[in-house]
Amino acid sequence: MRVACVWVPHFAAVAALRAEPELRHRPVAIVEGVAPARTVVDATDEAWEAGVRPGMPEAEAAARCPGLIARAASGERDVAAREALLALALGTSPRVEDGGPGIVYVDLDGLGALHGDEPAIGERLARHTGRIGLPARLGIAGSRPAALSAARLGRRVSIVRPGEEAATLASAPLELLELAPELGAVLARWGVRTLGDLAELPRAGLVARLGEAGLAAQDLARGVDPGPFRPYASPPFYQEVQGLEWELVSLEQLAAVVRPLLDRLAARLDVAHVAADQLTLGLGLADGSRHERVVDLAYPMAEVGPMLALLRLDLEGHPPRAAIVHVALAARPVRVRAGQGGFWHVPEPAGRELAVVLARLTALVGSANLGSPALVDSHRPDAFALEPFALTPGADIERQAPPGASSRFLALRRLRPAWPATVDTCAGRPVAVSAGPVAGRVLACAGPWRVSGEWWREEAWARDEWDLALSEGTLCRLVLDHRARAWFLDGMYD
Amino acid sequence: MVIPGEITEIVGRRSSGRTSALLACLAGVTRAGGIAALIDSEDALDVESAAHAGVELKRLLWVRCGRVRRQAALRAVDMLARCQGFAVVAWDVGDTPPRLSLALAFRLRLAARQGGAALLIVAPRRIAGAAATLAVEAERRGTRWEGAPPLPARLAGARLGLRVLRSRRGPPAGPESWELLA
Repeated sequence: MRVACVWVPHFAAVAALRAEPELRHRPVAIVEGVAPARTVVDATDEAWEAGVRPGMPEAEAAARCPGLIARAASGERDVAAREALLALALGTSPRVEDGGPGIVYVDLDGLGALHGDEPAIGERLARHTGRIGLPARLGIAGSRPAALSAARLGRRVSIVRPGEEAATLASAPLELLELAPELGAVLARWGVRTLGDLAELPRAGLVARLGEAGLAAQDLARGVDPGPFRPYASPPFYQEVQGLEWELVSLEQLAAVVRPLLDRLAARLDVAHVAADQLTLGLGLADGSRHERVVDLAYPMAEVGPMLALLRLDLEGHPPRAAIVHVALAARPVRVRAGQGGFWHVPEPAGRELAVVLARLTALVGSANLGSPALVDSHRPDAFALEPFALTPGADIERQAPPGASSRFLALRRLRPAWPATVDTCAGRPVAVSAGPVAGRVLACAGPWRVSGEWWREEAWARDEWDLALSEGTLCRLVLDHRARAWFLDGMYD
Repeated sequence: MVIPGEITEIVGRRSSGRTSALLACLAGVTRAGGIAALIDSEDALDVESAAHAGVELKRLLWVRCGRVRRQAALRAVDMLARCQGFAVVAWDVGDTPPRLSLALAFRLRLAARQGGAALLIVAPRRIAGAAATLAVEAERRGTRWEGAPPLPARLAGARLGLRVLRSRRGPPAGPESWELLA
């Protein structure tokens, strides 16, 4: 088995830089705790070079590194970056393992025909990590500990040939294993400086003096896998979050925050070769409540511009009721099948353009008034449903009209709601009708057609329908509603 | 009557058959695999009639503007006419058509030309003026009833006549009158 280890040094600090790209190349420290007793938990390379170390009080770090920028530790931010790294690895191999913050193991078996040899796969992974803002080092070896040690050796892509793990890593410093401080101190007292030194210690003596921890450390030094490969299953959503140190009070301000989130999501979607068909925007509000909007995309997409436009249009129709203090954006990924339309197919709207137009129309008339009409299985007059409009492939269309359909059909124009009518009757049949602008004597009438149904529900209906020709030229449908005990003009034939 | 990139007006008074002509156009386009949009200013579409007329409902985008959102209808027409890929954008104006300035009418024609869609306007009278390439007037030339008069049992159909009011491209192909079934 060949394994690649993707390792992101100073992961918490890099995750913060990913959220705020403008801080790149500046000394940044991640701190936790309550001011003024905050301590450093991670730092960027620039801060590290100035002497900032984890566990150091923030005041001391600031004294060692003038111009140090402190950012509070964020579990959500780290989780989002961790999932981004795992999703990236899944874009290369179907079997990946979550090795902890900033560490992902990738099973390389069988990938040669797809992505090339190991250096090519390593370069591909390294290139992709840069694209999602998590620059990583790659190690490739025959086991996970050996691959991790190789990654930590320092080069962009380090490859350990099969069977040469022990020889290659023997001279590597013991610090590569990042052992517990107490264990590292004991080994340092023993004069163990390299992985080779630790690997050669007798196991019986090691377990007698250091217990299970000593054996585990030696296994790492020897490059022995600690257990079976635990494949990672991607969550159904990609999520990015942004905690705010200030309140957002306008959609323009929110758009400025959402755009970087979309940039990060789009990069993740891109490297995983998927697209989003649904966005969920969760806003934490200053009053403690939460405002959540789900935007269904009519067409799977990974472009930032249209997605931002759709979110803005939705928020304009459903604005949050208080200032915003937290933003979380999730995208539901779907596989996109590339396809080419047939030469004789009628052109269809481009999916992205159609999605934006539909969102604008929804903002204009409301989602309840937009869609494809559909018949429902009911005898209720004017029963129909409105389904979300979606493009159906042209090849799936039934080109022949269904049985009973004729393009030369006398259509009815519905009056919604029906117009109340004043009707003169003779022997139960209407002889004169007046409803709104329609008024006249009845020249001919057919009916009544008695329809009723769903008597067991509140929405029951029972009515007599008449088709009338009026003296003023209108051909209409008149209804006697038995429940309302009133006449209505239901529609006009046109 | 469906001319890509141009405006066609179908006008007629109540019960003239203009809606039946509109549904026939929508049926022809959607059955051929095209996408159609209907901006319904008065929310008057009868879905059952559309299905009987042969309209492929899944390829029809229905924008119900209703009486309270009439101003939205014009914006929706403009938006959809500019969206490339629609074969037909139909605007059922209803019985009380809005005032459409000549500049606005030509703007709609420009939008239709850019998007490539045929823009159908169904109204009681002409509103697009010189911007329309074809204008036809629908009129009912008779009504058929089944059953012996004076108490017929059923409305059986009507005869629809189409008269060309304006055509910049010569007389349109097709019969001048249709027999409509109820």
